[in-house]
Amino acid sequence: MIRSPTDNDWHQWNRDGVLTIDEAIGRVELEHLRTAFARCADDAKSDWLAGVKAGTRPAAFFDLPDPMTLDDQFLELVDHPTYYGHLLAFSEGQVTFLNPQFRTVPAAPLSYVGWHYDVRRETTPLHMKVQIYLDDTGPEDGAFGFIPGSHLENSGPYPLVRDPASMPGHQVYSGSAGSAVLFNSYGMHTSMVNRSGRARRSIILIYEVFSEATYSPEQYERFADRLTTPDRRQLLRLERRP
Amino acid sequence: MSERVPVIDAHLHVFAKQSEQFPRELKENLPADREATVETLMQRMRSNAVDGAVLVQIGGTSIDTHAYLLHCLAAHPDRFRGIGLVPPQAKDPADHLDRLVDRSEGRIIGVRLGSLGGPEDPLATVDVRSLPVYPIWEHAARHDLVIWLYPRAVDAHVVPHLFEAFPQVRVVFNHLMVCPGPKFWYDEKGRPQADVPMPPETRYSTMGLKIGRILANTRGTYPYENVCVHISGQYAFSKQLYPYRDLAGWHDSLYRVFTARRLMWATDFPWIDVDPGYGQSVGLPSELMPYLEEQEQRQLMGGTASEFLRFTPPPIT
Repeated sequence: MIRSPTDNDWHQWNRDGVLTIDEAIGRVELEHLRTAFARCADDAKSDWLAGVKAGTRPAAFFDLPDPMTLDDQFLELVDHPTYYGHLLAFSEGQVTFLNPQFRTVPAAPLSYVGWHYDVRRETTPLHMKVQIYLDDTGPEDGAFGFIPGSHLENSGPYPLVRDPASMPGHQVYSGSAGSAVLFNSYGMHTSMVNRSGRARRSIILIYEVFSEATYSPEQYERFADRLTTPDRRQLLRLERRP
Repeated sequence: MSERVPVIDAHLHVFAKQSEQFPRELKENLPADREATVETLMQRMRSNAVDGAVLVQIGGTSIDTHAYLLHCLAAHPDRFRGIGLVPPQAKDPADHLDRLVDRSEGRIIGVRLGSLGGPEDPLATVDVRSLPVYPIWEHAARHDLVIWLYPRAVDAHVVPHLFEAFPQVRVVFNHLMVCPGPKFWYDEKGRPQADVPMPPETRYSTMGLKIGRILANTRGTYPYENVCVHISGQYAFSKQLYPYRDLAGWHDSLYRVFTARRLMWATDFPWIDVDPGYGQSVGLPSELMPYLEEQEQRQLMGGTASEFLRFTPPPIT
């Protein structure tokens, strides 16, 4: 059953540009997901380490290559009922899925990415991301940081800071394993420093309102046999949104 | 009234032909009869109004192989400062560094490091105290020596752990903050070449800020105040001929994050002496960073090096 945003969700989305979704992934499903993620990471790790050594892959994060091909349940995340209704509603039914990032972030004294937005509102339609924590992620564990309201036109300016934690007005969105953060990518966000001493795993799903610029039937054509409804075919950009 | 700002070439190498007086190790790009003398360098510097330079040891890590560097520092005490090397297996790196500093009468001001010896797996715990270079950083912290850093790609993730552990140590990140992988060779002009994606993938570990498609989205200030970056080495990383315009975006990113206060121009002489030439190398920042204001340009061309390395050479004549 697809959940729809409540009045409170709408209010928070419009005001802050960010929402947390507790238990986005249920306990049993999460265990399967974590097991599959760990298995795929084990399989891919030696290539990543070789790339790190060669300077062709970043050491600051480890992304599973082409993750949707690695396990059937991964593709099911793109329209998961706990957040897909929100994506549909916030995009007025025009959401499309762009890319996944199945990401492991090692502990380090430096965040791998500072405060930033992902796209410009002048050039890109509404762009949204869902970040699902696979591990309990506290504020010192490389949790997601966002400046509520920074997605709004004429927000800011924001100062240049040395330490991500010193950004005025920001909030850290820590969460338990299986929880998710949905945010508007016009807004200023970052990965806070992971000082926990252990790696933080999460899945980031990237969405955008349909436009001809991102219409690309070839990208997910290989999953066509599983994209059996018009909505799924439109979501994965095999067909245009009407 | 504005103070004079010296022009300082903040990273280069000089070496003599292999001899008893100036012993050195032989390498593919350093055959016995090749030389890049301090006299040639001084000629280039005079022609281009460069007042001073930082001479970086090449040709060996032992005290003996530092003979030519020590000779140049003694012959031109107010014109140059030196950066030494420590043998990777040195039992007492602190003693080695003390000897270099003493023999140079304090003109060897730091040590260059390549390999840091950290865990190759970035997911492994980094314990800086267990790193083979830890005693060198500790010594640098105690004696106010500068770390001249040119880490390998495999060690890039270790770098911020050292910065965090030694915030008081002054660090100069060599050659555009690139941490090259093992694909390293010499071209037909004897220049080192590195096959590195630009901007470097290692930036996620060493820079820690968003550098991507939207240049203006590079938002932040480098977390570690005591770190400078060399604007140098372009010839080794660019896929284009001078003025290496494919690297302009990365220069812009470095400028936004570090500002001219923490950037140092350098030529990496003698590798650039034939192509593109010393004079062209002096003009390279103007080509790749045309947005610098006059004061920022002065800062980049020597002001930063003078302040950070506490070295003010007299005007060259």
